[in-house]
Amino acid sequence: MESSKELIPTKSSSAFKKQARRDQITGILFTFPAFLIIFIFGIFPIGYSIYMSLFNWQVTKGPFIGDKNYLLIFGSWWNLLVLVAGLGLFVLGFFVWTRAFQSINNGQRLAHIAGALVLILGGVIFITGWGMMYETGNKDFLNSLIVTIYYALGTVPAEIILGLVLAYILYQDIIGKEAFRIIYFLPYITPSISTAVVFQIIFSSRETSLANTIIGLFGIDPLRWRFEPKPVLNLLGFDVSGLAGGPSLALVTIIIFGIWSFVGYNTVIFLSGLGNIPKEIYEAAEMDGASKWDRFWHITIPMISPVTFYLTLIGFIGTFKAFNHIYVMRTPSAQNTVVTTSLLVFDRFYKANQYGVATAQAIVLFVIILGLTLAQNKVLGERVFYG
Amino acid sequence: MDNSTVLPTLKKDKKESPASRILGKAGLYLILIVGAVIFIFPFFWMISNSLMTLGETITRQVWPKVPQWINYKEAWDGANFSKYFINSVAVTLGTLTGLLFTSILAGYAFGRIDFKGKDILFGLFLATMMIPESVTLIPNYLLIRGNIFPLPGGTWINTYWALTVPFMANAFSIFLLRQFFAQIPNELWDAARIDGCDHLRFLVQIVMPISKAPIMTVLLFGFTASWNAFQWPLLVTTRDTWRPLMVGLYGFVQEAGPYTHWLMAGAVITIIPILIVYFLTQKQFTQGIATTGLKG
Repeated sequence: MESSKELIPTKSSSAFKKQARRDQITGILFTFPAFLIIFIFGIFPIGYSIYMSLFNWQVTKGPFIGDKNYLLIFGSWWNLLVLVAGLGLFVLGFFVWTRAFQSINNGQRLAHIAGALVLILGGVIFITGWGMMYETGNKDFLNSLIVTIYYALGTVPAEIILGLVLAYILYQDIIGKEAFRIIYFLPYITPSISTAVVFQIIFSSRETSLANTIIGLFGIDPLRWRFEPKPVLNLLGFDVSGLAGGPSLALVTIIIFGIWSFVGYNTVIFLSGLGNIPKEIYEAAEMDGASKWDRFWHITIPMISPVTFYLTLIGFIGTFKAFNHIYVMRTPSAQNTVVTTSLLVFDRFYKANQYGVATAQAIVLFVIILGLTLAQNKVLGERVFYG
Repeated sequence: MDNSTVLPTLKKDKKESPASRILGKAGLYLILIVGAVIFIFPFFWMISNSLMTLGETITRQVWPKVPQWINYKEAWDGANFSKYFINSVAVTLGTLTGLLFTSILAGYAFGRIDFKGKDILFGLFLATMMIPESVTLIPNYLLIRGNIFPLPGGTWINTYWALTVPFMANAFSIFLLRQFFAQIPNELWDAARIDGCDHLRFLVQIVMPISKAPIMTVLLFGFTASWNAFQWPLLVTTRDTWRPLMVGLYGFVQEAGPYTHWLMAGAVITIIPILIVYFLTQKQFTQGIATTGLKG
């Protein structure tokens, strides 16, 4: 608007008012169609979910039961309070460790000791709260959170590291750069329902399946892959069982698919991030005699950290939302070891028709995602170098 | 890393012989090629198995002796693939039309018009990108069933409306277009206004022709999202005749069970359109992703 004032100085102020009013109307008219759809299908449902979660809602609305659906998850509010208090102390401990007593001599050591104590205390209280919740709350839901965390920890770091390595190599003087990039991005773009079918065949429990043939070359007996609920550590000979023993082989198979389908996306984003690092910095470092490795470690890694941070965030949120390929790749015999929270919510709703319980679980999931996002912003965001 | 460790490597690097340089380069290519093989192998496996006889898939051949093109016909007829295909195309086209309409208008308003409530509205839109589908899925299902408020035609279960309307606007597309529209120089608008242009005509005659690239990106992302959609169509279609490809393929997988060659033929059928679009526009695609950095 500023420049139009200069360009058209003869316009009277009433004409401007008219234009402003017209802008107001046009703005509202133009955004209205999008607003209508986003409001009805994106914003309104959140409120309605909260509403539904307060009722004994099977297929149709039943009586109002207040916090009962949430109590089914937590066992009691006291359990949740203990858990959150433990989490709060944990966060506090982290702050003490990094921040407190900076002004005092020897303050850092003091801060570390105090921080460590608070961290341990927070951890103990958190675990106590978790134990209490596990005792009286909804085990399926809590298990699904563990599965989701295994899935996230199994996929996100691997995707970040592989994506960065591939992007860094592609960023060098490489022949056929374009072709590699097209290939790497292919799994991300193709529908996961279709590609998951191939993985089902490759990782089938048949003795002659491709995966079993390949491990057979190394003298390993055929495995049941997608159908194996035992933890990987157990198969490696450790004496563990159940969810506490780490991800099951079935989940690991899904993790492999997850990594395969998502690395290409990270590679493309990293590649564009690398392109934004000024060449002069590398040249200066080279003149100072920094080796290739040093340049990667001391220039690329810090300069690319905002991208890394962004991808980590997107990755974690994505794993908490992930549905399609897990739904398609799961088998009944893998039991609950592959049921992430988003699958659990869907089953509660779609198979069990318990709409009230399902919405309550979905809202808890939403709060966890929000919390994770904030925490990552705080913890990782501080370490990010914005050049 | 302190200096004592930096210095020796530094000297070594400077005196790097041509031989070790070539070796290093070969190592890089090796990593890239191994990566490429891993990424492409499942697609190769899909195609080769889709052309085998059932016996060949069980004895795990690498490539069929005689390509069995008949598998495609059998898979196509075995499931209702022609119907699924038509559904997917219709749903994708409908969704994209609506999506373009809403996001170009909203993107323009957010990028180029000053109006009250603009920032709040835009923030609200962006916030919806964080919300997991699990939360919105159940109310949306009731909404589509006509349980929350009456819909024209009673229920939308088993209709194109259910498959298209909820996806006819999203924050990502609006954000992407807004970024581009906002960069268009103001002089263009001033000149157009002197000629008596209003916002709508300016948008259609001047802004849209110079915004082909971002509009294309929105289209591409909309296309893959719509084509690959699974959870929602699974929910709102109960009859086979309304199912799009992904849900159809899922049903086919459940039924065809151990008939690997048909499964693979079915899988190939569903990805061919997306592969064609991808190879024709891959540059646009990866650039669109890289410049926005957002998830499709």
